[in-house]
Amino acid sequence: MARSAGAVRERQATVVGIHALPYAKNIGMTERNAGARAILAALGDAGLGVADVDGMFRYVWEGTTEMEMARILGVRNLRAFGEVDYGGGAGAPTVALAALAIESGLADVVVCWRARNRSSGGRPWASQYHATGQDQFERPYHIVRPVDGMAFHARHWIHRYGWKPELTGSVAITIREHARRNPMAMMRKPLSMDEYLSARMIADPLRLFDCCLETDAALAMVLTTAERARDLPSCPVYVQGYAMGSGPEMTAMTFFYGDELGATPNRWVAPELWRNTGLSPRDIDVVQFYDAFTFQIPIGFQEYGFCADGEAADYLASGEHPPYNTSGGGLSEAYTHGFNLLVEGVRQVRGTSSDQAPNVRHSMVTSGNVVPTGAIVFSKESW
Amino acid sequence: MSAANPAPSFPIPVPDADTQPFWDGCARGELLIQRCASCGRWLWQPRPICSRCQTPDPPWTRVSGAGTVASWTVIRPPTLAAYSELVPFVVLLVQLDEGVRLLGYLVDERGDLLRTDGVAEGLAMGSRVVLRFHDQAGTILPSWTLAV
Repeated sequence: MARSAGAVRERQATVVGIHALPYAKNIGMTERNAGARAILAALGDAGLGVADVDGMFRYVWEGTTEMEMARILGVRNLRAFGEVDYGGGAGAPTVALAALAIESGLADVVVCWRARNRSSGGRPWASQYHATGQDQFERPYHIVRPVDGMAFHARHWIHRYGWKPELTGSVAITIREHARRNPMAMMRKPLSMDEYLSARMIADPLRLFDCCLETDAALAMVLTTAERARDLPSCPVYVQGYAMGSGPEMTAMTFFYGDELGATPNRWVAPELWRNTGLSPRDIDVVQFYDAFTFQIPIGFQEYGFCADGEAADYLASGEHPPYNTSGGGLSEAYTHGFNLLVEGVRQVRGTSSDQAPNVRHSMVTSGNVVPTGAIVFSKESW
Repeated sequence: MSAANPAPSFPIPVPDADTQPFWDGCARGELLIQRCASCGRWLWQPRPICSRCQTPDPPWTRVSGAGTVASWTVIRPPTLAAYSELVPFVVLLVQLDEGVRLLGYLVDERGDLLRTDGVAEGLAMGSRVVLRFHDQAGTILPSWTLAV
């Protein structure tokens, strides 16, 4: 294909619009309604309108299909559309598909969004009594909630690496401190180590504050080409690169039947991410790790190569790590299947975070890590 | 079951042709795991093809169920309604001596669910376990008891 490097650069995927509706325990409207409002606001942030949209990607778990959303909004034709499965693993991969569509010329203005009434709408696991596929070997034993699957990994990591409760406690407290500076965060009270340690067990060894929130939320992101972004009012945030990975013997949330107990798909995403971005962990100025559970932070730093295997506790204690989960993440801002992490990753490049890291050139975001997943890097400068 | 007042139910396995032999084995008190006839690989969860050498129809092979504890969790409130009187109880990740890992309850010598967090029993990583079968409202589930 005869495409000059210049033409490739002109089509670099660029985030031009973001928006999050105020988070709530009960948002008071349907996911469809909230999602549509978030998309319209993100388009407004981008200086674009519905007439510009020609691509849409979503999570499979999003209750409103991209066709229904396009119909409601009045999108005339979707030239590119699709969905990514696997719950919280879908965040970065959904944006990656949007970026792919833009880079390849399938579409020029692509919308991604996540609207979920996870607080007021109930718990999806509470009504699934007929267990097919992998579930038939898990659900009859009450391995039904995401935390039940995570507990087996967490105990293994504690045993293998000698992690103390104070390690995950410090993660919960660090993220809470970021949330306290974020006016949108659901949890803004200080959290002490005593409170962390004395909180009730949810699924041993995970305590209450190891677990994310239950939130109603609606967020959206708009991407276009670098060329088109130059004519728009918002600060362009360039998609430097992205990667996806499943690893072998994937079973979502219970990824512990494979050869190496304790490895997560991060292990397979990381080398692809560094290859596709041309970066290394040293280049990352700020990171949003998927944090449905505190344990995903130390394992994330290890598996993405910020520190060596087994060194997360010392590394985090050293303070030499980049700031992480700066809006409060899933643990203290809102649990949105990780879309708030994507939005915060963009804000950090724009310089508009409520807890802004200094001189951000490269901002990394990961998605759920014991499910098929991905990661993405947003950058200040274009290719 | 009365439609007006259904008893709280446990999630039930819904087998298909690829998994039915496993559940049939459980009902007979036998733990069956697939082992590739060509390359000898033990395979879990059930599948129609060996994932190492792609030979079809790995035969179901009876194993003793002896193994070690690779990890575990404790189920506590809140639970699905059917389990609410059973908590706390332990779900084990057991690594069979053949190498594959399965989930199962921590039960007593007779296969009855133990109401415990595992501390009194001295449950530990690497503990040796012995296969038992637990009858959960008619569903026969592989479970394990600590070896003496």
